[in-house]
Amino acid sequence: MRRDRSKRFLAAFATAALSVVTGCGFSDTGGGGRGQTLNWYVFNEPGGANEEAIKKCNEESNGRYNIAYRRLPTDANQQRELIVRRLAAEDSTVDLVGMDVIWTAEFAEAGWIEPWEGDRALAATEGKLEGPRKTVEYQDKVWAIPFTTNTQLLFYRKDRVEEPPEDFTWDQMIEQAAADGKAIEVQAAQYEGFTVWINSLIAGAGGQVVDEEGDVNVGPSATKAGEIVSELANSAAAPPGMANNKEDQARIGFESERSNYQLNYTFIYPSAAENVGEDFQKKIGWARYPRTVADMPSRPPLGGINIGVGAFSEHKDLAFEAAQCLAQPANQAVASELGGLPPTTESAYGLAKVEKALPFADLLRESIEEGTPRPVSPAYSDISLAIQKTYHPPENVEPDKVRDKLEDRLKKAAEGKIF
Amino acid sequence: MTHTPREKAFWSIAILVVILYALIPVAWITSLSLKSPDQVADGKFFSGFSFENYDQIFSENTFNAALVNSLGIAAIATLISIALASMAAYALARLNFAGKAVILSGALAVAMFPPISIVGSLFDLWRAIGLYDTWPGLILPYMTFTLPLAIYTLSAFFREIPWELEQAAQVDGATPFQAFRKVIVPLAAPGVFTAAILVFIFAWNDFLFANTLTSTTDAQTVPAALAFFSGGSRFTEPIGAISAAAVVVTIPIIIMVLIFQRRIVAGLTAGAVKG
Amino acid sequence: MEATTAQPAATKAPAPKKAKITERARAERKLAYLLCAPALIAMLIVTGYPIGYAVYLSLQKYDLRFPDEKEFVGLSNYSDVLTSSIWWDDVLTTTIITLASVAIELVLGMAIALIMHRAIFGRGPVRAAILIPYGIVTVVAAFAWRYAFDPSAGFVQGTFLLGDDAAPLTERAGSLVVIILTEVWKTTPFMALLLLAGLSLVPDELHEAAKVDGASTVQRFFRITIPLMKPAILVALLFRTLDAFRVFDSAFILTGGANRTETVSILGYNVLINRVNLGLGSAVSVLIFIAVILIAAFFVKVLGTSTAQQRGEV
Repeated sequence: MRRDRSKRFLAAFATAALSVVTGCGFSDTGGGGRGQTLNWYVFNEPGGANEEAIKKCNEESNGRYNIAYRRLPTDANQQRELIVRRLAAEDSTVDLVGMDVIWTAEFAEAGWIEPWEGDRALAATEGKLEGPRKTVEYQDKVWAIPFTTNTQLLFYRKDRVEEPPEDFTWDQMIEQAAADGKAIEVQAAQYEGFTVWINSLIAGAGGQVVDEEGDVNVGPSATKAGEIVSELANSAAAPPGMANNKEDQARIGFESERSNYQLNYTFIYPSAAENVGEDFQKKIGWARYPRTVADMPSRPPLGGINIGVGAFSEHKDLAFEAAQCLAQPANQAVASELGGLPPTTESAYGLAKVEKALPFADLLRESIEEGTPRPVSPAYSDISLAIQKTYHPPENVEPDKVRDKLEDRLKKAAEGKIF
Repeated sequence: MTHTPREKAFWSIAILVVILYALIPVAWITSLSLKSPDQVADGKFFSGFSFENYDQIFSENTFNAALVNSLGIAAIATLISIALASMAAYALARLNFAGKAVILSGALAVAMFPPISIVGSLFDLWRAIGLYDTWPGLILPYMTFTLPLAIYTLSAFFREIPWELEQAAQVDGATPFQAFRKVIVPLAAPGVFTAAILVFIFAWNDFLFANTLTSTTDAQTVPAALAFFSGGSRFTEPIGAISAAAVVVTIPIIIMVLIFQRRIVAGLTAGAVKG
Repeated sequence: MEATTAQPAATKAPAPKKAKITERARAERKLAYLLCAPALIAMLIVTGYPIGYAVYLSLQKYDLRFPDEKEFVGLSNYSDVLTSSIWWDDVLTTTIITLASVAIELVLGMAIALIMHRAIFGRGPVRAAILIPYGIVTVVAAFAWRYAFDPSAGFVQGTFLLGDDAAPLTERAGSLVVIILTEVWKTTPFMALLLLAGLSLVPDELHEAAKVDGASTVQRFFRITIPLMKPAILVALLFRTLDAFRVFDSAFILTGGANRTETVSILGYNVLINRVNLGLGSAVSVLIFIAVILIAAFFVKVLGTSTAQQRGEV
């Protein structure tokens, strides 16, 4: 166990160095005391929801375990990069992983997380909404417990445009916004959020990037998605700097009054009141994600965090227990209240906290239930990169070529080649 | 010597342009770091003083830990690198032996070496032997990649030292150690110090190794932590906080540069003139 | 004159006296090897061994996500990389960034070096100022420029340089310009210092003599200064070209490789670290290594002929 010794030495050294520099010690765990330490690697939730959940579970465990909060960045790509390197290094300190919904297949296939079997599988999936539940399943096994979920809504300016009809399409929206000379805020930087958009557009036309068997099968939907992306990027409704915009640039753009529509997560709603004012917040309406084609219901994106148990952990039984505790409905309600993250458990929507935090709870729930997962594949990150490279930059997309390009890249990704 | 007013005006403008060139981005990021959240997107070069961003970064474990990692790793790497390089540079400057060319060309090869070519291997090796995400995991590449710079700078300095003084001191009755400590050390110190500054700047600056060989507050240094900073909400880009952190890591460099400017220039040019 | 007498003995080994190795010389040699060994070993372990390991990995199918599928595949990773348009696209992008930034740096660096060399006052402040870009963390510099060009937070937009709706970091040409700008800003000072060292080697008497002969300032610069500085210029170009070719930090922060601004280093990083495909990624790594060797060899050859020429002329 040379590794442990060197780690301990380092930890001691680091603490000593820190004391010299700052004149005080520090502790990463947040929770003090007895019990087995379980490291939970999860994105840093600034609202404090993760801390609350940890505190509650550490208390409930009666000192049998003590969860330590190991913060990962907020960006999904960056989270993955960091945690994958740790898991590939077979790090035994990874007990609990806060997994983005898109990682399940990759982590399961690589043997980095433990499957949930028997009663545990039941406990992980019982009473969960269908969308989030599907994100923990891979090859007929359950690999994690759903914690929070997320989806995008169409936010619009009630004072400037009419309420979108139920069959509102992207084409109609672009036409409308361009005529008004106002923008539509989307996420079109080359990053995971762009994949989210493209994937929903493709699914909305009935397509699927990768089918149930794991084969590439995009079909003509890829072309339709390309048409929409190119149409928006080259229209008067394209926001400035569109090809660099992520969720936050979209929010800022919407708050700066330059746009009538915004596709985004629900965090923009409390932000509007905080950064602009209550009056502005009152002007914001919400509707379901627009349709790709008129005759098919839209497929809103589906995100969220599941909690998995690390395959190299030395305390797996405790970790399973802690994961269930962390993901309990009461903690999900706290996550909606503090972080604006919708629950994955059906019953949690009835909790008063949730209803107060999410005035659009019913629409959210409907969107989550009918949302589209991103492609399920152990090579997901390659697939996502292939999608991003094919459709980026948006203004240069050539709709009639985009399908061949995407299929070619996806094929190369699947074969582990450069694309 | 007298100069015409036209000459004076010309040089004044030239100097001013250079200074502006160097300072504008620094001034800009400093000003960004002093904006409050609602001023960040105002697009103005300067909008006031608010220390909110600094409060935020110093209240977060991520940044404090990164700062400690940066300082500790850069300092240890500098110490080791300078120790090894001093020995080699002494041999190069003072001793006659076949194989000087091997050392010099080896150092030159490392100086030209593209780090991206070995990060994959190092990642795989480090994870196998448990150095991944640890201090030594970064100290090793830093000290190695700074060796050429240190060896060239130090041997250039060491060549200038009048070593006969040591013998003279011994003739005057000093022991060899006394002679070394009282005569040679003070003469060599400025060179060693200069090399140390250059090495420290290199280690402080590195992003590629820090980004690939670490993943948590255990060993992540500031440049890597900056790229992975989290915002005030799940999707907020923390422009103000990143700027504040950027200013914090820049301050020690600016102080060093201002105090030791002559030495740094001497050090950078010393190694190069020989070609 | 102590220093001058000491110097020749120290700089180069005295004329080969192979006849007999004395006891003292042997002891000296032993000490020298002992003193050099740690540095040499460190360099071998941390660069030599890993590059060898990279070559080994590049011949394997080795994806950390599918650890069981590890097998020897010969050169197929290389053929994958070399037949893909992405690799060549990235080589082109990297070459554009390298050539443009080194060329601009050479001109700007020469101007700054001349200012530092010839200025009649204010050399201290200039030197202090230009050391700031040299010392600043590249990631910080990249963030400063990224935010400067940000459509909502930046200050450049709306000035005389850029239109109100311009967002250079959203398209290829603009992104390349900003990456080059960042590189130039950060590394010109280094270039200037190397050139300054070369400038100080040009004897003033030559200038005086040429002045007497009626040569103009411009003529003197191109006929005297430049030729005499040629070795210094080539050394500076060599280091900066190699450095620019491995550009990673600034491009990674500014665009992350979006808008077709992916450099070869970013490609290597993505394959190695993001896709954890160590086999394929190592092939990219080794190819970059070979490219760097080729660039270095080219410069060393040019440098060799130029110094030889000079020796012949003088």
